[in-house]
Amino acid sequence: MKIKLEKLEIQSRKGKELIDLTPDVERVVEESGVKEGLVTVLTMHTSSGIIVTEGLPCLEMDVLNHLDKLAPDQGNYYHNRYLAIDGRLGFNAGAHLRSIIGGIQVSFPIHEGQIVKGSRQRIYFAEYDGPLSRLCCIQVMGE
Amino acid sequence: MIDFHTHPVLVREMVEKYKELERVIREVFFIGNRLQPLETFHLQMDVAGIEKAVLLPIDCSTSKGCKIFSNEQITELCRMSKRFIGFASVDPHRADALPELERAVRELGLRGLKLSPPTQEFYPNDARLAYPLYEKAAELGIPILFHAGMSWEPQAKAKYGQPLYLEDVASDFPYLKIVIAHFAWPWVVEAAMLALKYPNVYIDTSSLYFDNPLDFLAYVMKEEIPLSLIERGLREKVLFGSNYPRVEIKKMAEAVRGLGLTEGCLRLIFKDNALRLLGEVEA
Repeated sequence: MKIKLEKLEIQSRKGKELIDLTPDVERVVEESGVKEGLVTVLTMHTSSGIIVTEGLPCLEMDVLNHLDKLAPDQGNYYHNRYLAIDGRLGFNAGAHLRSIIGGIQVSFPIHEGQIVKGSRQRIYFAEYDGPLSRLCCIQVMGE
Repeated sequence: MIDFHTHPVLVREMVEKYKELERVIREVFFIGNRLQPLETFHLQMDVAGIEKAVLLPIDCSTSKGCKIFSNEQITELCRMSKRFIGFASVDPHRADALPELERAVRELGLRGLKLSPPTQEFYPNDARLAYPLYEKAAELGIPILFHAGMSWEPQAKAKYGQPLYLEDVASDFPYLKIVIAHFAWPWVVEAAMLALKYPNVYIDTSSLYFDNPLDFLAYVMKEEIPLSLIERGLREKVLFGSNYPRVEIKKMAEAVRGLGLTEGCLRLIFKDNALRLLGEVEA
């Protein structure tokens, strides 16, 4: 079985945004040489996410706005406190919660060397606390 | 729009180039977040609507055996980006503090002096140790930004950050521009008193010790002192500062903008007061 792992650095440019990773995921699958298997995309941060939706700017805004309503930046959060591990205060609980709600990873089957997904489906890196340089992990496994 | 209080401690290009900075920023400055490319710093400024940022080093050679960025490293960053305004730092305990400050300003082109008495372990009104430095700064025409109040650095004692020590300095050096950082929390009223009384004393907003920027600044500027004091009495004495990367620039900017100050007052805080202090417009 082949296993290929790529860590992809992503520079988010806004506080909140969706960044289309589909071409990167397709490239990693192609470079892996895997014909039958599985690809997994995972964010390595707890204030960002990986989501799948249709590739339309209006939907991108709706997704972010809806997650904001569910987990707004301002709230009576216990996370609003000093964190010795960081040497600074947290105060980004909303971003952490949006990450949980939206999810942090997706998987797709690979068949005949292609990602098996709907024609409208796009794989997005979701920035909830940017702008930041982020890492996401793309792993391909199969034959 | 100017952010008068930032630290370039997480700039990846610098920390990877100067390996000793990794230990210094983690153990002395005490920040745990991931390094970020310089581009992130610029983007943080962009999303906050900030055009320029003051970069602050701390020379704590005697007390901590290191420099939290040297004057040369600050200069290097300023050469990488026209959006940075570099300040120098010198160690008041060192015999070469005066020539080093003169060199940093005249040769490197740095625009102000950062002192952190809690980190550097001296009392700001220690005339023997610090007054020659103040005379030199006044002669060079540069402002001094003092860390005041509590510090998150583990070895930095708040006793050195009591702003009342700065009254001697403000009084003895009337031509020296003094910035009290972090609103000197928990000594907010004392800091406000100094800025109210002394024409040469300013305060920056880079204050966050609990809750979040919006709630904390509202507490400081609406409960510890009335907001009307900022709007009327101190409108020309308060500078926007974020303390990035301990606080994201956009979040501190949102907090300041959310206080309920008038647009005219916000313009002074975000820009005009800083330009005046830096000598870019007439006082």
